[in-house]
Amino acid sequence: MLQFARDYLPFYTIGAVVGMGLTLTSMLGSVAIGLVGALGRVSERPAVRTLASGYVAIFRGVPPLVLLYVVYFGLPSWAHDLGIRFLMDLLSPLNNRILAAVVAFALNSGAYSTEIIRASIQSIPPEQTEAARSLGMSYWLTMRRVIIPQSLRVAFAPLGNEFITVLKGTSLASVIGVTELMRDAQLAAAATFQNLVAYSLAAIFYVVMVIILQQMVSMVEKRFSLHHA
Amino acid sequence: MPNESFVRSGREENADRAVLSAPALSTTPSQGAHGAVVELIDVGKVFGATTALSHVNLKVARGETVAIVGPSGSGKTTLLRCINFLVPYDSGRVYVNGQLVGYREERGRLVRDSEHNVNQVRKRIGMVFQRFNLFRHRTVLGNLLEGPLYVLRVPKREALTRAYEVLNMVGLADKVTAYPDQLSGGQQQRVAIARALCMQPEVMLFDEVTSALDPELVGEVLAVMRRLAQQGMTMIVVTHEMSFARDVADRVAFMEGGTIVVDQGAREFFTRPQTPRIESFLRRMSLA
Repeated sequence: MLQFARDYLPFYTIGAVVGMGLTLTSMLGSVAIGLVGALGRVSERPAVRTLASGYVAIFRGVPPLVLLYVVYFGLPSWAHDLGIRFLMDLLSPLNNRILAAVVAFALNSGAYSTEIIRASIQSIPPEQTEAARSLGMSYWLTMRRVIIPQSLRVAFAPLGNEFITVLKGTSLASVIGVTELMRDAQLAAAATFQNLVAYSLAAIFYVVMVIILQQMVSMVEKRFSLHHA
Repeated sequence: MPNESFVRSGREENADRAVLSAPALSTTPSQGAHGAVVELIDVGKVFGATTALSHVNLKVARGETVAIVGPSGSGKTTLLRCINFLVPYDSGRVYVNGQLVGYREERGRLVRDSEHNVNQVRKRIGMVFQRFNLFRHRTVLGNLLEGPLYVLRVPKREALTRAYEVLNMVGLADKVTAYPDQLSGGQQQRVAIARALCMQPEVMLFDEVTSALDPELVGEVLAVMRRLAQQGMTMIVVTHEMSFARDVADRVAFMEGGTIVVDQGAREFFTRPQTPRIESFLRRMSLA
């Protein structure tokens, strides 16, 4: 076991870094989608609300693994079969494993982020909006200067949880051959036949990363809290 | 005193102050000869099955302080909110500085005005709420700068100068970096008043601003309002503070059942109540 760890630690560390990078970029996309989605969910226009709800309903329902297959194996070849130039240009980057994984995870997690941010927007007392409007702020200025900054502080903790979910979810990317932590564990297991040790070491890596993340989240959360006492 | 500059006064006795302050925005078209800053004509509002306001008429001249009193549920707050269109009234007309609020005339009919135009009116009307409603994620200074920087778009330096002046006036210059939840209710309410004043409003609306305060904190807020009134600010004050209405207001409007029943000089209102209903109301208020 110790010998194995000594041999494979650098290998696993690189995998962990890849997984973390994958998570960070996916989460960036997820929060961006979540912001737009949440604004759609609270929009005054029914059509916009329906669109946002539809997105959430679909992408929350599709298992991330299925989505990953659709995005990586499905979309680029579909565009190729259709032979439409525009679609091919748009979707061929998804032949890149890492990009496909980021897109799939961001789309999946974005549905959750949408709901998290929507709930946080709705948790801001309507009096805040009233005060802003009484100063002559427009709907969008009120959102930008008053509601969103407050709701992101509220959303920070649940978004931190979502980050952890996505981090663990990146292990799925191993199935399309992204050499993240789980893929490295598979390779190590295949080379040494020490399955239990190989996968347990990966498990330990995930647990440690999650604990570190959790600490960072609660530190930043305290810093940006709306309670200043 | 740096305070004079908070107020754009057209009132005779304050004429010298008005010249002193001479803010760039002060030249505003006044409505006709009477120069009312706020005028409500036959205003009505219905919420579902309940009539909140009906046939409300009110005229407030520049520099005047009008107290609106009456039993709860009589429509005082709704009336105030119709003036800056936080509540869209559904009949009659509201003018602020001669400008119709919330609607525009199109071929003799009133149509709902654009959000942009409503905002143009709102930024000249200061409003202070019962529960302060300060921006919780911003410091005191941040609260004061928000409107001037992002709505009026004045240069930062100018906004800062004014913010500090106003903070001095409400006596909170030492709290610039505090967050709202680090302040007492009375301090928060004074910040809320300061936030509204930073917009250099034509008129200030006060919506039961002392009702949510501990009794010992009421005085400091009323003192600020009293000073504002003395400086010639045009004020409409919904209040349960009868002594404030008596001592500070020029006029008192008594509301009941969604309409203004009596509108008269403050002194007469209290010394010679016009109806038995007002008499009993005053008796109950002074007991409380």
